Amino acid sequence: MSGKPKVVVFCCNWSVYPGLQLSRMLDDGIDATVEPIVTMCSGRVSPELVVEAFSRGAWGVMVTGCPPEECDHDGNYSARRRMTLLRNTLEQLGISPERIAMDWFSAGESAELKSAVSEFTEQISQLGPMKSVQELA
Amino acid sequence: MSKPKVALYWCASCGGCEEAVVDLAEDLLEVVEAVDIVFWPVALDFKKKDVQAMKDGEIALTFINGAIRTGEQKEMVELLRRKSGLVIAFGSCAHLGGIPGLGNFYDRESAFERAYLTSPSTVNPEGVLPVTEADVDGFELTLPEFWNTVHTLDQVIDVDYYLPGCAPPADLLMEAITAVLTGNLPEKGAVLAPAKSLCDSCPRSDSKPLKISISKLKRPHEVEPDPEKCFLEEGLICLGVSTRSGCGERCINVNMPCRGCFGPMDGVLDAGAKAVSAIASILELEDEENATEEDILELLRPIADPAGLFYMYSLPSSLLRRSQ
Ligand code: SF4
Ligand code: SF4
Repeated sequence: MSGKPKVVVFCCNWSVYPGLQLSRMLDDGIDATVEPIVTMCSGRVSPELVVEAFSRGAWGVMVTGCPPEECDHDGNYSARRRMTLLRNTLEQLGISPERIAMDWFSAGESAELKSAVSEFTEQISQLGPMKSVQELA
Repeated sequence: MSKPKVALYWCASCGGCEEAVVDLAEDLLEVVEAVDIVFWPVALDFKKKDVQAMKDGEIALTFINGAIRTGEQKEMVELLRRKSGLVIAFGSCAHLGGIPGLGNFYDRESAFERAYLTSPSTVNPEGVLPVTEADVDGFELTLPEFWNTVHTLDQVIDVDYYLPGCAPPADLLMEAITAVLTGNLPEKGAVLAPAKSLCDSCPRSDSKPLKISISKLKRPHEVEPDPEKCFLEEGLICLGVSTRSGCGERCINVNMPCRGCFGPMDGVLDAGAKAVSAIASILELEDEENATEEDILELLRPIADPAGLFYMYSLPSSLLRRSQ
């Protein structure tokens, strides 16, 4: 196998990221590389960024945003539609929909966030890394 | 002074790009006046050995159309690359993989199985499959290797410019030739077409609402679209939102929504993901706060073949390249 699971977590700067810092999950015994990437809104997380994360070796990508009615820009709804459509699309390319998670957390929910990330990481380690594509053959 | 030499070659393509050259009509005579066409298998009787006999860089400009899937195609484009000052990837297939690139939903094994064993029109009781070398009555016969994966031209050789489209329109081709002849070329790697989106030049954009939101998607066979209205307004997916302008709105003008053959705008790393993004963001549910995952799936249900739609012309160029 090729090492530890690599997970990218896109976090909204206004709700999830402070919670993520609070939970100090990154040095909390998960045997995986969990990379948080801060965005100004979950609506900023375009499918292109998710695909790029996969192409650079992520095993799974989690997009987190504010719960319904808490996002000032309705970016969370857009993110949910985009991730659902992306899952449908990538599934046809043999990429398990389980590799993309989309979840909502309020600013105070650091414990929930922490367990969601652990659970996702666990699920991703079952799937293993993405298969690499053989070039020019 | 001798005229600049030009070559044209085709790989995994349908022949439409060759037609696009012929579509230059009278302008073709002007081109022939200005340049020497030294290699063009579809029209002229020059051979590979004629190209091999040339000096490196002797050809000023080579247009290559088609995606790359065989060892022979690789050998030919590498030869042409060596002999050419400039190489232009001509058309969607060379640029992004194009329709042959949809082969990346399958691999070599399943493609062979379908083509040589299970398709209804096949009679092959001995189950013979193509091989690269075979001994037939004491003669050794060879075939080029068929790869597992379809590639864009720039995944195989260095490409200087891209002329997009299925097929590229005559005006852009003429502009490209003129640019080369006058030395008036943009930066290496440029796509020789406008930088704006198709919506920007589309005659229907006047009717495109500033903020579009579609709560019910329709499939093209379900509506007879109003020839004046933006397709999105009618609930039909049109990829003009994420596609480069320059085709002359060919599909739009015959009342068909855009399917993205001109590829993405500058700076986009993955055309399909960009299209997913553009379309998903203009969808809307009435009661989005209380919507469940099921409701979203229901909203998306009319998109029956999302990868085939969003990557129709660009699968090999995707960051994810092919089915895993
Ligand atoms: S979405 Fe299509 S029909 Fe509407 S303006 Fe853009 S290109 Fe034209
Ligand atoms: S409308 Fe779209 S699919 Fe049709 S020729 Fe133009 S870019 Fe290509």
